[in-house]
Amino acid sequence: MDVVFIIVSIFLLLNIALGLFRIWRGPTVADRLLTTQLFGTTGMAVLLVLAGYLQELTLLNVAITFNVLAILLVIGLFQVWKTRKERSDDNI
Amino acid sequence: MSILIDGLLAILAIYLALQSLLAPRLSQSVFLFFAFGLALALAWVRLGAVDVAITEAAIAAGFLGVLFLDALRDFSSTISEKHNNTEAIQSSASRKKIKTFLLPRLAFGVGLGLFLLISLEAIWQIPQGGGLTAAAESMLPESGVEHPVTAVLLNFRAYDTWLEIGVILLGLLAIFVTGGIKIYTKPDVVAKDPLLRQVILFFTPVLFLFGAFLLYIGKSGPGGAFQAAVLWGAIGILLHLGGKPVFAMIPRWVGQLVLIMGLGFFLLMGFVFMSGGATLFEYPKAYAGTLILIVETLAAISIAAALTAIYANLNQMKEEPKENESAN
Amino acid sequence: MTIYEVITVILLLVGCFFFLAGTLGVLRFPDLFSRLHALTKADNLGLGFIAAGMALHIASPWAAVKIFFIWFFTLLASSTSCYLIARFQREQDQPGKGKEDRE
Repeated sequence: MDVVFIIVSIFLLLNIALGLFRIWRGPTVADRLLTTQLFGTTGMAVLLVLAGYLQELTLLNVAITFNVLAILLVIGLFQVWKTRKERSDDNI
Repeated sequence: MSILIDGLLAILAIYLALQSLLAPRLSQSVFLFFAFGLALALAWVRLGAVDVAITEAAIAAGFLGVLFLDALRDFSSTISEKHNNTEAIQSSASRKKIKTFLLPRLAFGVGLGLFLLISLEAIWQIPQGGGLTAAAESMLPESGVEHPVTAVLLNFRAYDTWLEIGVILLGLLAIFVTGGIKIYTKPDVVAKDPLLRQVILFFTPVLFLFGAFLLYIGKSGPGGAFQAAVLWGAIGILLHLGGKPVFAMIPRWVGQLVLIMGLGFFLLMGFVFMSGGATLFEYPKAYAGTLILIVETLAAISIAAALTAIYANLNQMKEEPKENESAN
Repeated sequence: MTIYEVITVILLLVGCFFFLAGTLGVLRFPDLFSRLHALTKADNLGLGFIAAGMALHIASPWAAVKIFFIWFFTLLASSTSCYLIARFQREQDQPGKGKEDRE
């Protein structure tokens, strides 16, 4: 049973590593932000699997922390950048 | 078998740390740093330090994320205004420029070498027998809490924690100094989007409740004042982003009182008990648990207010020069 | 292996499949909107399956409630961020168009 958990966590971590390509390629800030959503969801799945594997229920608190703060980034991007529309994303 | 997870995490963390420093574009760096925070939180979990993992998750995913996005916007405006179509020329010019700065590079290399040597030395000299863990564990019943990390932070080494709260306040003061204090004005951006409003309305109580839960659970498990403070600070940031800046809506002296409350109460309590013959930050044993909870709550509120104020100030400092330019 | 373990393994594997689908979608789809679609749908479903599997494995009611809330918050946050990112990008692409709707 433990082997299954380890394989699943490694698989999910490799998913995160694959997602890094999208951060590299972009092309826009929105694309990169989207990838952090992928990281957040996958990271939470890894935490859940590790919680079962280590039998450590406090890991669920780490997952909830990630969870409730994930929305902050997106709202931050949306509200903070809203005033600037003329700028092209590719320069940064 | 689980060494595979640890190895993968270690490679990921180091790779992401390097890449977030070396990435050619700022937006890549920012989001790679977010991924680095995630990898680091998972690594802390694997090391068994769940307290640190929660803090890392809260700070990397929430607070630093929005701060960096804000900084990114600022940089993007300067970049797009100054060097619009000259990216190629600019990059070759800056490459030439870097080559001329050999001395800083040398200094950086020497510093890095020294740092690595010191780290090696530190790893070499890991205290046998677990260091001070046994001492902390043996004094646990007298600390008033059940979780060793909280006992160390709020009781045995309360002085450190007090200074940490002070450091955050000092950071805020530095921002006040560079940005001026006239900052608590309402931003003109109001959340008109119905979905955005609803989501802010929904997540505000959730953040508050979960922060309170983490604060209370710190007595007996991973959690505590700093983690709760980031979650409560996120409420302030959400409200600020939604067009309800907390500090503009309350009287100024209330804001200042809230900011210094944690630091002040901590110190006051220390002095009061010191006058009764104890050392600084020593609690009377009978009330230790209750006092720690009160101190933690006040500290969490103060830190949350400080984080909100830091974000609110940084967010508005950038609006000002633009207004001046358009006025000119 | 008990029947619960078999169900847990199956749920985890199905979850992994959806995660892989989401990641491949993010990597391979041509534009932002289809990537958003792939990510926010497939990954949440994957998380749901993994959450169900782990809730079954941990088998404690309090943990199950927490895991359910983790999934529920993710659904809320993810669908909202999908909407906000898409809207953000549309305003970037066509300045003024998104603004008309909002104001």
